[in-house]
Amino acid sequence: MGIVLHKEPELHNPEMIVGWPGIGNVGIITVETLRQALQAEELGEIEPWDFFYPNKVVIKADILIDMGFPGSKFYFKRMPKHDLLFFIGEEQPATRESAYAEGKRAYEMANLVLDVAQKFSCRRIFTSGAAIAITHHTAQPRVWAVTNQKGLLSELRSFDNTILMSEVEGRGNQGSITGLNGLLIGAAKRRGFDGICLMGEIPDYLSRMPFPYPKASKAVLNTLAKILSIGITHNPLEDMILQMEAVVDNVYQQFPPEIRERLEQRKFTTQAKQEAISEEDEQWFKEHIDEFFNKDKGV
Amino acid sequence: MTELLKFSAQPKLRKPTLVIGWESDTARLGGKVTDFLIKTLDAQPFCDIDPVEFFPLGGVTIENDIVQFPQSTFYASREHNLVIFRSAMPRYEWHKFLNLVVDVALIYCHVKEMYSIGGIMTLIAHTISSDSWATFSSPQIKKTLSAYKLSRDMDFETPPASRPTLNSYLLWIAKKRELPAANLWVPITFYLMTVDDPNAHKKALEFLDNRLDLSLDYTGIDANIKKQNEKLIRLRQSSEEVDGVIKKLERNQRLSEEEHEYLVKTVDDYLRRGKNQG
Repeated sequence: MGIVLHKEPELHNPEMIVGWPGIGNVGIITVETLRQALQAEELGEIEPWDFFYPNKVVIKADILIDMGFPGSKFYFKRMPKHDLLFFIGEEQPATRESAYAEGKRAYEMANLVLDVAQKFSCRRIFTSGAAIAITHHTAQPRVWAVTNQKGLLSELRSFDNTILMSEVEGRGNQGSITGLNGLLIGAAKRRGFDGICLMGEIPDYLSRMPFPYPKASKAVLNTLAKILSIGITHNPLEDMILQMEAVVDNVYQQFPPEIRERLEQRKFTTQAKQEAISEEDEQWFKEHIDEFFNKDKGV
Repeated sequence: MTELLKFSAQPKLRKPTLVIGWESDTARLGGKVTDFLIKTLDAQPFCDIDPVEFFPLGGVTIENDIVQFPQSTFYASREHNLVIFRSAMPRYEWHKFLNLVVDVALIYCHVKEMYSIGGIMTLIAHTISSDSWATFSSPQIKKTLSAYKLSRDMDFETPPASRPTLNSYLLWIAKKRELPAANLWVPITFYLMTVDDPNAHKKALEFLDNRLDLSLDYTGIDANIKKQNEKLIRLRQSSEEVDGVIKKLERNQRLSEEEHEYLVKTVDDYLRRGKNQG
């Protein structure tokens, strides 16, 4: 089990931005979009063997040529103020029982990422993900923020469209972040790094859908770019947002009229007054989600 | 590594062949074939892989009133210079587990070739014969096995949202560690997947028999094939609907989803009923 670095650049006071898949792939799309926009260079990877089952076999003329595994790669980019380190995990090292990492393997993966952060003397660690919110898909997603240091709270409050998780209507002071996007910030605290997790709002009724929600990624990207003082001239998420709006509208039209009517009311009330989907409605989504899509079966 | 390998004996073998079968793989073919070999060749257990890191041990499963516990055991037949590995499929740490298997093969037994047995579902009628085929770790072993007509010159890439089989993962590790290896893929008609398919057992065994000169006795398997074929004939005679659906397959026509499900359920019910009645 280990880290393989292809090069060892000298980086100036870098910040690390980390993304894994999760609900709506909000986090990983945010990080991958930023990485591509900045054309960050590949730095290295975490060896996959101990974390993942292979995801691909390549056979040519009956001969097994290669086997593919989910990538867990590091990238870097030199910037005028602080250099950037990226880590992008194509999958969370989950068991068959759960889509999210947990337990020993998750903690090992988190610590390997932090080992690289430590090696390059990173200042802060950023993760991102989805915040399941009582909102409507036509609304502009906000960004919920949490940190592992009290001293960062006031800075986070200062960004547009960004609120602390405790300030979200009806949440109180309690919350949780499932999987590695949350665990890494906790492990970072234990090892003395400042950590921030930014979560883009996804409507509760879309949170189980097997498609990306780039609108939330765009919101997170905007906040992240401001925190890091990065200018992104052309946001490549715009095309994806347009495509996914059509998909979301199509799925939405398949909801039963009574559920749709209740959700439509969210458009006309402030978020403080909006109601979560009922248990019955949630049950309906669970039971009918496969009917919206033709899922490929595994071999 | 050695802490996870529990040796009970050290059989004297001369560059043996290793045959691998997973007990709960497609249609349980690998488990059935290795069971047959262990029994028929009187192969003796000599090493177990400790299950603790590879299987969920929060309880046990029960099948037909019998408590099941994951076992991963190597057997040896000195007479046939053969090692047989029969195992439950690991749930965790696949890379470590499969490397342990190859460790036993290479370091302890000096295995010269490895064959894993897997079933693959086909959508053709049981009355139509279809050949087994193989994937190989190298062009050399493909050439070595050319007389067995296992080649299809197939190109394949795992489609998105699917995963490679454990046998493919093992073949890749064997390739990396330069152990000549092949995965044997035996076709199994989709409506015989949930019950035993003695025809598939025989196909896998015939390849091993020819390759390893095992002089296997197929009397029992032939009797099972005959019995199953007769049952399927009786089922077709008693149900026009079943007969019609199988005829469609025999004419190479595509079945609807309903016909597909109907055939699987009806054949499964009928063959199991017959089995329970002795």
